[in-house]
Amino acid sequence: MKKVEEKLEELGRKVLEQLEKGRDPYIKITQRSLGNVSYDKDKGFLVIGNKYSKRYYLNIAHTRKFMQTLLVASYCNELIKENKHAGIRELYYALKHTIEGTKKENTFENQDESNPIIEDLELSLNVLREELNLTADRRGYLYGDIVIKDGEDEFNCSKLGRGGWAVPGNVEEIEFKRVNARYILVVETAAMADRLIEEKFAQKNKALIVACQGQAPRGVRRLIKRIHKEKKLPVIVFTDGDPYGWYIYSTIKQGSINLAYLSNRLSVPDSKFVGMTIDDIETYGLENVTEKLKETDLKRIKEELEYPWFKTKEWQRQLKLALKKGVRIEQQALANKSLSFVADKYLPEKIENEIFLS
Amino acid sequence: MKSADDLFKEFKILSVSEFFKKNADMLGYTGKIRSMTILIHEMVTNALDACEEAGILPEIRVEIDQKGESHYEISVEDNATGIPLKFIPDVFGRMLAGSKAHRNMQSRGQQGIGVSGAVMYSQVTTGQPATIISSTGDEVWKVRMNLDLQKNAGKIIEKTKIENDGWRGTKIIIEAKDVTYNRSRYSPYNYLRMSSIANPHARIEFIEPDGTKIIFPRSSKEVPKPPKIMKLHPKGMTTDDLLVMARNTKTRKLGSFLRTELSRISKKKLDEIERVSGVSMEMNTHRLTWKDAEKIIDAFKKIDFMAPSSEGLIPIGEENIMKGLSLVEPEFSIAVTRSPKTYRGGIPFIVEIGLAYGGKNEAGIDIIRYANRSPLVFDQGGCVINEAVKSIDWRRYGVNPDSTPLTLFVNIVSTHIPYTSAGKQAVAMEEEIYNEIRFGIMDACRGLKRFLSLKRRAYQKKQRKESLMKYAPESSKALSKLTGENPDKVKDLFIKLIEKRYA
Repeated sequence: MKKVEEKLEELGRKVLEQLEKGRDPYIKITQRSLGNVSYDKDKGFLVIGNKYSKRYYLNIAHTRKFMQTLLVASYCNELIKENKHAGIRELYYALKHTIEGTKKENTFENQDESNPIIEDLELSLNVLREELNLTADRRGYLYGDIVIKDGEDEFNCSKLGRGGWAVPGNVEEIEFKRVNARYILVVETAAMADRLIEEKFAQKNKALIVACQGQAPRGVRRLIKRIHKEKKLPVIVFTDGDPYGWYIYSTIKQGSINLAYLSNRLSVPDSKFVGMTIDDIETYGLENVTEKLKETDLKRIKEELEYPWFKTKEWQRQLKLALKKGVRIEQQALANKSLSFVADKYLPEKIENEIFLS
Repeated sequence: MKSADDLFKEFKILSVSEFFKKNADMLGYTGKIRSMTILIHEMVTNALDACEEAGILPEIRVEIDQKGESHYEISVEDNATGIPLKFIPDVFGRMLAGSKAHRNMQSRGQQGIGVSGAVMYSQVTTGQPATIISSTGDEVWKVRMNLDLQKNAGKIIEKTKIENDGWRGTKIIIEAKDVTYNRSRYSPYNYLRMSSIANPHARIEFIEPDGTKIIFPRSSKEVPKPPKIMKLHPKGMTTDDLLVMARNTKTRKLGSFLRTELSRISKKKLDEIERVSGVSMEMNTHRLTWKDAEKIIDAFKKIDFMAPSSEGLIPIGEENIMKGLSLVEPEFSIAVTRSPKTYRGGIPFIVEIGLAYGGKNEAGIDIIRYANRSPLVFDQGGCVINEAVKSIDWRRYGVNPDSTPLTLFVNIVSTHIPYTSAGKQAVAMEEEIYNEIRFGIMDACRGLKRFLSLKRRAYQKKQRKESLMKYAPESSKALSKLTGENPDKVKDLFIKLIEKRYA
């Protein structure tokens, strides 16, 4: 294996060599589109193919990105040499400035421009973001009876107060000292995770609660994957009953299209989905607290119907049912019964009886 | 009770001049700015025609001076042959003085009321005589003259001989009230600008009331050929035309009158006319009745004649139109002179189109209309030119009628322009003319389209190069850091690469 520095410098050298020969220089970029991602049934997650495209300097549509790729590569190279780490937002600000000779065009207009370039480099050089000395923006927290060693510190995640332990962007270096839990419950919204913590759900059910706060960030996904693999705990996912919630589950289970190249490091193919489902509406009498699906929701459901990993009998029925009823159901709608309903009845009943959607 | 004699004591036969005095609006004298521009039009037209008939490159000087509220003094000077003293009252004082109305010939003015109309307007609004200064090369005469409206004649009030220092030409000075000056589309300024475009052989100097001096330069040294008097074509005649001509002719027999005074009538055609009309060709021309004339005109309609000769039509020509349009300093110009056609079955005409893109043009299409080189400034709405322009699908030619900076020049050349009124500012809707204008515009637009797409491509190429150049310094700096190569050398490599691509 070549060192990351060498890979970055090689990228630069190749561009320079082409320039010296008077050729239009290009950088090979592995494609990250759906066309280069496939679902590996045996492995149970999304894998990246080997299609790549060439980013040419003289192609007007590529030139700006070409420049940005060089800027990010050169910056990461410096970070590694100086043994410093930067967040991806810091990288954005460090590199953002007005382009010489223009009035107000910047090297990067917003972070949505720099983030994909980082992903391009990770994938094309086959290195991890962490190896480029970059850390992702952090989000999500863990609560439950697990002792973690992070550098000098060692702590039990059930003794850190109601807020739990905030999961950092990079969890490669931490160690799991001791675990006293039966499963990991991944919860979409922080509000629901807070509810479960207040209801002592973790203690009563011997569960680790992970709040992912929307689409699970990398740190959280890597953490789930490591606990699952190293401590052999099953993963149960609890999201809103709508196409976005279901896609969060799908990401944890199979990986995302965007980060398909990291699937084997991030995804847990035998994750279980506990809810919310459209069936729950009838089962728990929640008809009065549903919300109407919007045009975009309907479109998203139709897309999901086509994903190979949703091509199971139960999921197809569930998605079609959502289309038919035209409604969605939020996790917090369960509060309609009572605040403790979700912790005392809904989750224990479904989890103990293994009423999962698969 | 009054007797018939008493009543008829009051009755006077209105002279032509008096008739127009009462109907000045028929000549276009309505509204302050319009009246001003029409005065300039009549005086400048007279000056240009005088130069052209003598084959002289025109040097016209126009000056407008404000005397008071809505009160101005206007002078127009030319460098033509000058007018002998005894003809001055006729030229400037008698309506229908020239023989223009009775000649079948292409000319700027047609009814022969033009410049005398201006003198009349001046007299009616200010009561002041007009001043004419003219020299044929020897002495210079300064004449102050009035119009005797009842006699339809000019009357010299005062004449002075002035020392000459080699000047030749004519200058007319009039005063006018109920007029105003500005620089709008309908202003003398725009009128003179348009005149300059259609008369690239003329140099026009213009002094505005505030003293601003504007020169519309000469861009061609070619004096247009003077138009020829043409015989009328049978298809273009009316019963009245035929009667008037029959009365004035010296030819005795009807048959030989038709053969000598009309065009395209052969001996064989005479037999046909006789057969179809039933009117004897042997009859005395002076005895031709309205009824017989009508029969002959009807016969003309039924008989095929050779198309009229267009010899008498003198177009400006493509090259000179482009020279004229150079006034707007266009990026691109094109001109089309269509081949002669006829309307109403026998009146020959030629349509000329010019397009000038970019330069001093403002956004949108500026339509400039001409009839026999004379600018048509007013009544655009009712003009066949406007109708034809509206019918064009501009987008097909890459033109956005609201934003493309374009001058569209249209000149209709004919021995008889079918104006919608005596104001002579709009041409009537004649289908053949309408079609020719359309075809001409489409012809010219094809050329414009080629230019615009080349321009667009060149522009895109320039944009692309600029965009590549823009990212070169940043890319070079980053690459230099990444590889340790000298930053200036890396930048040179990028610039060389781009230059090579866009060489």
